[in-house]
Amino acid sequence: MKMNIQFSLNGKSISRDVPTHRLLLDLLRDEIGVTGTKEGCGTGDCGACTVFLNGKPVNSCLVLSGELDGAEIVTIEGLKIGPELHPIQKTFLQDGGAQCGYCTPGMLMMSKALLDENPNPSEEEIRFALAGNLCRCTGYAKIVQAVQDAAALLRNR
Amino acid sequence: MAKAETFSVVGQRVQRIEGFEKVTGDSKFIADIFLPGMLVGKVLRSPFPHARIRHIDISKAERLPGVRAVVTAEDTIKRPWGAFFADQYILSVGKARYVGEEVAAVAAIDPDIAEEAVDLIEIDWEPLPGVFDAEEAMKDGAPLVHDDKPNNIAMTLDIERGNIAQAFAESDVIVEDTFQSMPQWHCSIETIGSVAEYAPSGKYTIYMNTQTLFNARYRIAAALGVPETDARIIQSAVGGGFGGKSCDDNNALVAAVLARKARKPVKLINTREEEFLAGCRPRVYMKINVKLGFKKDGRIRAKQVKVIADNGAYSAKAPAITGVAAMRHDTCYKYTDVKTEAKLVYTNKVPTGAFRGFGNPSAEWAVEQAIDLGAHELGIDPIEIARINAAESGYVSPHGNRVTSCELKQCLDMAEKMIGWKTKRANKAPNTGLGLACTVHVSGKRHFGDYDGSSATIKLNEDGKALILSGEGECGQGAHTAMCQIAAEELGIRVEDVEISRADTDLTTFCLGAFASRLTYVSGNAVKNAATNVKRQLFEQAAEMLEANLEDLISRDGRVFVKGAEGKSVTVADVARARLFRHNGAPIVGSGSFDADSVLPDSTRFGNESGAYNYGVQAAEVHVDPETGQVRVLNFVIASDCGTVIYPMGAEGQVEGGLAQGIGYALTEGLQFDEGRPVNPNFSDYRIPSMRDMPPLKYAFADSYEPTGPFGAKGLGELNMDPTAAVINNAIFDAVGVRVKNLPITPEKILKALRDKEKKG
Repeated sequence: MKMNIQFSLNGKSISRDVPTHRLLLDLLRDEIGVTGTKEGCGTGDCGACTVFLNGKPVNSCLVLSGELDGAEIVTIEGLKIGPELHPIQKTFLQDGGAQCGYCTPGMLMMSKALLDENPNPSEEEIRFALAGNLCRCTGYAKIVQAVQDAAALLRNR
Repeated sequence: MAKAETFSVVGQRVQRIEGFEKVTGDSKFIADIFLPGMLVGKVLRSPFPHARIRHIDISKAERLPGVRAVVTAEDTIKRPWGAFFADQYILSVGKARYVGEEVAAVAAIDPDIAEEAVDLIEIDWEPLPGVFDAEEAMKDGAPLVHDDKPNNIAMTLDIERGNIAQAFAESDVIVEDTFQSMPQWHCSIETIGSVAEYAPSGKYTIYMNTQTLFNARYRIAAALGVPETDARIIQSAVGGGFGGKSCDDNNALVAAVLARKARKPVKLINTREEEFLAGCRPRVYMKINVKLGFKKDGRIRAKQVKVIADNGAYSAKAPAITGVAAMRHDTCYKYTDVKTEAKLVYTNKVPTGAFRGFGNPSAEWAVEQAIDLGAHELGIDPIEIARINAAESGYVSPHGNRVTSCELKQCLDMAEKMIGWKTKRANKAPNTGLGLACTVHVSGKRHFGDYDGSSATIKLNEDGKALILSGEGECGQGAHTAMCQIAAEELGIRVEDVEISRADTDLTTFCLGAFASRLTYVSGNAVKNAATNVKRQLFEQAAEMLEANLEDLISRDGRVFVKGAEGKSVTVADVARARLFRHNGAPIVGSGSFDADSVLPDSTRFGNESGAYNYGVQAAEVHVDPETGQVRVLNFVIASDCGTVIYPMGAEGQVEGGLAQGIGYALTEGLQFDEGRPVNPNFSDYRIPSMRDMPPLKYAFADSYEPTGPFGAKGLGELNMDPTAAVINNAIFDAVGVRVKNLPITPEKILKALRDKEKKG
């Protein structure tokens, strides 16, 4: 069954006729062609597909398109501030927080969610907040460092 | 050895060259490739571990609107293929040998239709009895996985160097035990996928997230029955490899067969479940019996291992991996008398294969514990046993491995200091213990024919920037950044002014790809040689312009200078332009090759397998809760000898990431089977370490210089996956006096071991 949904994606309004069972992840990637958001497991276990839905981070592989009418969605493509990298993107780059980079979009979105709520997280709080985002390359040390450095950048802005 | 040179780009803290697109989401991974008219592929997989196919009816699937192709083995040439033994088909021929094997496939205009069409394929199955355990499989009368392999034995090794009976007779202390390793999955967050196109001229173009393009091309061409030139492989961004994306699976082949039949591009991406069932080939799991003979002073006098390795249903790279598990570790310590027996055995389970470490994590899990057993038996500190036996530069192993640089002893000193080994051993807290292990790995391995080389071409553009054309590829580890640094260092330009191409078998010269920790060393040498070639052409033109002698020129930061008259200079861009825009002009372009000074091992596997050997030491402090069996890793330290560190952030990432996979291997991972059926093929039941599972880590790199390496560098990538499980188990033994003998070391197994120990009193 198809339905018409209207929503905002990275600040732009979008209107689409979509099958109600189409997952938000597939809608973004295959129908709209916004491919920065990645699929790692399809079961909500790895966090690679994390996007913001109405201001909260969600696994887009677990959200059905039928729920999206009127929603506000922000993906990795909406993270930059104008032409500038967001501080969390800058520190991931500078600290080596990305190796293969496949988990990185989800990791960045979840990091932003953490820093929105808690501008000065302890290492323990970072590790707790990002525990649902799996990375197989880095061993996480440089990701933790990047989140800490981004928090400092944001606080000093 | 002290560093002989100082560098301006090598060893500098540069950023990953493709880092920007990784943090913006712009990297194009395999699933991000969309071609006009592209169809979606879906595979029908065997639900049985072993079953004959009496008949397949695809007519209903073919009639479903939106379906463009349905394929079975009848659409293939039915020629078996494989890395070392040709024993697997693109799609099942006659029978399926494991749960998940590709039997048929569909290409359709959308994923819903593809899935529906797969359900419409009708197969008349005749389930057969299977074999699920390597030792059972070898027994007379066991069902045969392949009719032409008696007792299901794929390969046997039986090698003795020196005189093992005499060596054990001359030993003062002998220890022996048996350890079981386990099937560990790569769990790259990106699964295997491909996008295949077929041109009516007969040429396939396949986008793949493979880490070994030219090996993929060779195998794909063989399986499809076309010359290599007609199988063009283009690498997408690769979301993690770890050996799992080295083309031992059928994904790209199925996509190619679908694309040919549909005459449209086909995208085929594994789901996470498919990745576990039949995507990357998990670590070869082995039962290893190890027996060591020591002299009273701690010297190892004799070593014997007996390996039984589970091949799964097809061979992939397990034959080479089993050989590594049986022999590689003899390059870590000095002894002369060795015996090794190994059997690689077919079972009706997912084929096993290459995973970071390539047999070493199984071998070190067993041998490094046996050395610890020996240390306890002898009453000598384990770190002293390691020191007494440690390999050194100049060592030649019993199997002919020639060690040109080795800082293992320096690594022992660093690890000892970082973890506070002596102080902590002297002040042991209850249920807390220390463990350590040494590790060795190769920098490339000569086993795909008599070649362990690389080649590269560098173009110097008229703006003074260089482009490296390399077919080695990048799978996330950072090899491309290291190659750009090596080229920049040699050319005397800024690293920001070096680019590297996407790997493409049509546009780049032959390269073996990312395996065996080889890229920094092997490909680094080829890139350096190409840069030397380019630099000669650059200087020839510059000498004319500066009216100077060739040998008086140097280049730095994008300028060519006359030594001693530094005011006299031209920019690299001006030189490149001047060489091009003139009578008889030509662009500056140069190629370079390198083939390691290694030897293709003979029929007894004797021969120097690699151009250089990397060493390391890991140590851990753990706490074991005797009530729950829970292990907490309190501290971890890693000392690595990888020669000169070219790309520090990348090297550190290899250390940190290697440890994470080692911790998972030791404590939480492992696919479980029920009669050949995987029961945990997903990330909620197969637990890879999360951010919360990582212990505090300290690491250091040895002051080391590999004389045959580019600017003194050698490999690193696998080294720190290899010993971690043994390190943790040695520490657990030190803490509570028990050893779990089969991976992973779960709290249940520790509790059982503690109870058994109590019973024995």
